[in-house]
Amino acid sequence: MDDEWKPLLASERAGESYPDRGVMDSLDPKSKRPFHVEPRNIVEDDVPERVSAEASVMSSRVHYYSRLTGSSDRLLVPPDHVIPAPEEIYVYSPLGTAFKVQGGDGSAKNPSIVTIFAIWNTMMGTAILSIPWSIKQAGFTLGIIILISMGLLTLYCCYRVLKSPKSIQYTDTSDWEFPDVCRYYFGAFGQWSSLLFSMVSLIGAMVVYWVLMSNFLFNTGRFIYNYVHNVSMSDSEFGTNGTDRVLCPFPGTDQGSNCSVTVIFLNTNTTGPTVFDRWWSKTNTVPFYLVILLLPLLNFRSASFFARFTFLGTISVVYLIFLVTLKSIRLGFHLEFHWFESTKYFVPEFRVFFPQMTGVLTLAFFIHNCIITLLKSNKHQANNVRDLSVAYLLVGLTYLYVGVLIFASFPSPPLSKDCIEPNFLDNFPSSDVMVFVARTFLLFQMTTVYPLLGYLVRVQMMGQIFGRHYPSFFHVFTLNIFIVGSGVLMAKFYPNIGSIIRFSGALCGLALVFVFPSLIHMISQRRRKELRWPSALFHSFLILLGVANLVGQFFM
Amino acid sequence: MSSTAMKKKVLLMGKSGSGKTSMRSIIFANYIARDTRRLGATIDVEHSHVRFLGNLVLNLWDCGGQDTFMENYFTSQRDNIFRNVEVLIYVFDVESRELEKDMHYYQSCLEAILQNSPDAKVFCLVHKMDLVQEDQRDLIFKEREEDLKRLSRPLACICFRTSIWDETLYKAWSSIVYQLIPNVQQLESNLRNFAQIIEADEVLLFERATFLVISHYQCREQRDAHRFEKISNIIKQFKLSCSKLAASFQSMEVRNSNFAAFIDVFTSNTYVMVIMSDPSIPSAATLINIRNARKHFEKLERVDGPKHSLHMRMR
Repeated sequence: MDDEWKPLLASERAGESYPDRGVMDSLDPKSKRPFHVEPRNIVEDDVPERVSAEASVMSSRVHYYSRLTGSSDRLLVPPDHVIPAPEEIYVYSPLGTAFKVQGGDGSAKNPSIVTIFAIWNTMMGTAILSIPWSIKQAGFTLGIIILISMGLLTLYCCYRVLKSPKSIQYTDTSDWEFPDVCRYYFGAFGQWSSLLFSMVSLIGAMVVYWVLMSNFLFNTGRFIYNYVHNVSMSDSEFGTNGTDRVLCPFPGTDQGSNCSVTVIFLNTNTTGPTVFDRWWSKTNTVPFYLVILLLPLLNFRSASFFARFTFLGTISVVYLIFLVTLKSIRLGFHLEFHWFESTKYFVPEFRVFFPQMTGVLTLAFFIHNCIITLLKSNKHQANNVRDLSVAYLLVGLTYLYVGVLIFASFPSPPLSKDCIEPNFLDNFPSSDVMVFVARTFLLFQMTTVYPLLGYLVRVQMMGQIFGRHYPSFFHVFTLNIFIVGSGVLMAKFYPNIGSIIRFSGALCGLALVFVFPSLIHMISQRRRKELRWPSALFHSFLILLGVANLVGQFFM
Repeated sequence: MSSTAMKKKVLLMGKSGSGKTSMRSIIFANYIARDTRRLGATIDVEHSHVRFLGNLVLNLWDCGGQDTFMENYFTSQRDNIFRNVEVLIYVFDVESRELEKDMHYYQSCLEAILQNSPDAKVFCLVHKMDLVQEDQRDLIFKEREEDLKRLSRPLACICFRTSIWDETLYKAWSSIVYQLIPNVQQLESNLRNFAQIIEADEVLLFERATFLVISHYQCREQRDAHRFEKISNIIKQFKLSCSKLAASFQSMEVRNSNFAAFIDVFTSNTYVMVIMSDPSIPSAATLINIRNARKHFEKLERVDGPKHSLHMRMR
């Protein structure tokens, strides 16, 4: 065979027609050619997509650079802004065709409606229960004016927070949150103070939750006990008569009224505090029972299980709106306008206690520490400001609706408007079925949100102090003891959620709503030499408002 | 040759963290063995092993750190550093917030150059341009270029904008190398003749250490504008693999039914790449042609005598 005569290293004879070659032996250089398949679309007849020259050279660059450093070295890793968008990434199949990657880069993009709903859902908190009380503190007309103005003010500050990462040049801020922006402008002080104030709002919310949960659990237990043992509580509570009872739990504590109301419990049929009353007390025992239920839940490593129950919050708010509508239809409107003087049953339209309302509303409209993250998943980023404004409008309308209706329908001739409680559900007896349902919904919802809040506090604190989210069971348990302990203490000694909300709202709002966004905006404008007098004046005024808000909480 | 007595330098200078070490690693296919950011300023010793264009030695210096050790070392070694400099390449970080300071350090380097090596060529690279938004890049670069040209007088500086994530780095360094070769026009015309004689589609001349394209001839339009950088990256990767086996790369032939490409050592400072689209021409013929051309081009390098070789030029 002529193959035997072939030299060992045959130089290739180019130009030969390859099909003429007979048996391919293993020394044939042609058989050593690399595997190559012409790109061909075997599914359809379309012309197959070829990779562009830019993509091809970028690929060669990335391959080459990856050989220059160790595998764990991040020095020559392509940054995000250099990698093409997902729509431009091709996948090569072994058959040679290239097809585009469909779909997003992992983060789901939501239409505007979903984003608006997510913002509304996140903002709707327990502050909704305090809105009628805060309107009462500020006066009806002044209250409405303040609600609208605070909504607009916090919306503007939220807009500033949203725009703050964009003003940073030369750096990729695509995954920054507001505390990162604070750290960029103010260094470590900015990072730690924004963390601190964020903690204030979170821990304040958790304390409020504990007080409310004790309240709702107490009332639920009471309702069940009364229902089972057929006990009627109507005589020992001061309130209206009839089917739609409204209570005044603390008559005679209204401020500024000339007449004092003496309440005498004349019912001799009732015995003293029963055994049940001793073991089921709103301030003495129920807060401690909650510890058994909730402290274990706080120690879980991950809170993703509880995140599934966010729908409970929406149901609770919707039910509250329905409840408020029904009650106001049944009770009717009781409004009288006394502009500056207070009467026996009504409060003036303009009162000096309005800082209490601004404090509550600061927390009611607070979303500034996570708005950037929430709006990142919006499909059309250009609509972010519009969607944010619509969300704020809806939140404002919800608060306005609940607050105005409760205030207006509060039966004033027998009861004074001053009786409206910081938690307006307290104005209804524990035997009221519809309110019982509301309390149960809210109890369930809070039980599922409480561990989520605890997880957020733990992640932020442990992450900043120790660098890890779960340093050890001992660390996490100590933190949880502290949080739960503060909740229990508040529930026992000072269960006035109106005060807790307004102080924590004014405090965390000072930094994250008023001072930092305005200051950052002025600094970035000055760096770009665009700071003008009107802007500087307006934003300094905002900072002053924030400070006045906090100071006002202590004096009024 | 007198060149061995005093090695001429290419100074790569700039502020700490401006990207010089990455740049050197990419251009010269140096493996970076550590995360240079964490270890602070680079202090490159004069006995660098990176050779460039024959006998030029690449020196890397951090200019203007806060470190007082750096400052003292710099000032006391200043004359040593700036003597015998052929080229100064100064790297500016475009996102630096201390423009005044950067310019100040640049000027002190220029002063030292004027004192010690007044014939040196000065190049300024405005680096990390990928961090600037695309529509602002031209504007920002023009601003910087004007400032730098003004500050550099009486020396003339040539400015480039670069980023390791696009083709600008390769093109800038190719331009720098092109300007360092004294008889480059002659080289180009000879290359054209060579290509036409051997009926090649394209002939490229690469610098040996960096595979930067010095000169090229093509007989028709090619589809891929980025092919030079791609070839350079591929071959440098191959060189890195070879060096792991303590082997060195010398030549390569790539062939399929449509073309044949030959990469081979050419002169003492260059590699040549010849692309033939006629597969009927046997490889042996092309290799003989390349070997003969080699002799001719080496003579070209030495044609003006020892003082005017490819890599040394005294004006």
